[in-house]
Amino acid sequence: MTHDEFKILFTGPMGAGKTTAIAQLSDDECVSTDVVNTDLEQCNKEMTTAGLDYGYISLADGFGVRLYGTPGQERFRFMWPILANNAAGVILLLNGEHPDLEKHLAIYADAFANNGETPLVVGIGRLAANDFSCVDLVTEKLANMGLFVPVISVDVREKEDVLLLVETLLCQIEAHEMELMEV
Amino acid sequence: MTNKNPLGQAATEIAQQQLQKLRAATTGITSAVLLSSDGFEVTSLETDKGKASRLAAMGSSLAAISSAIAKEAGISECRRLIVESEEGVVAVMTVPDSSPPLVLAVVANDASRLGQLLWGAKHCCAALSKKLNK
Repeated sequence: MTHDEFKILFTGPMGAGKTTAIAQLSDDECVSTDVVNTDLEQCNKEMTTAGLDYGYISLADGFGVRLYGTPGQERFRFMWPILANNAAGVILLLNGEHPDLEKHLAIYADAFANNGETPLVVGIGRLAANDFSCVDLVTEKLANMGLFVPVISVDVREKEDVLLLVETLLCQIEAHEMELMEV
Repeated sequence: MTNKNPLGQAATEIAQQQLQKLRAATTGITSAVLLSSDGFEVTSLETDKGKASRLAAMGSSLAAISSAIAKEAGISECRRLIVESEEGVVAVMTVPDSSPPLVLAVVANDASRLGQLLWGAKHCCAALSKKLNK
């Protein structure tokens, strides 16, 4: 099956950088559903996504990628399957500084990896430059869940970093489709 | 999951009175939730707290998506969203000039009349805006 357009989904806990990542990549202005954040205890930031984020990026060879982002908080969980519908793959963003990192990983990997059926890439933000312990930890935890997926340390404020995540995911999607064809 | 109220107790009581007033004056209202725009329940007419929390989160998403499409279509600012079915109506609307921004979500059955419901809800929002800003 050939595609010239993919839908991919950014997810992860509040404050992981989903909205920022999509804004970095999108060719045009993103659709944003930011509202005032009143839960400063959970994450000290001014605004938070209540509905969805949407952007679009044109890649080489006529490829286009539709970029969707979920709200992070679990109370918005009902939005997750709506947004995940028809997604070719998922980018899970985590906040490497957050004390609940492992808990977040378990929640989102469970909700979005579809037992390894959905192509997945994990990006971890806010890590010190030479600290790979967190990447190792997350890789190991994912392996324990039966998920063998790329885990990358990223700064979502850097377009190159977000692009790396998307390109890695596109490779995963391609590999996944080839596997399906072989069956 | 945190379960916190973005308004103080006195303000919450005032808001609860306004919701009760709305229900008393309007035919067919089955539930109503006042919520912060980021999806926390402030107060509600719903006795089932789990249901009120879910309605608050959904009301927040719907209000945010409605604002986004109104902006996209060049008709901003979005005042309210109406969902109609054979069995009833859900109306989601913003409370003007509220801080933190508040949203009212009202659910009504098929005994309701849309005009009366929207009129009542609009006045409820206006009253909330006035009383909470005091």
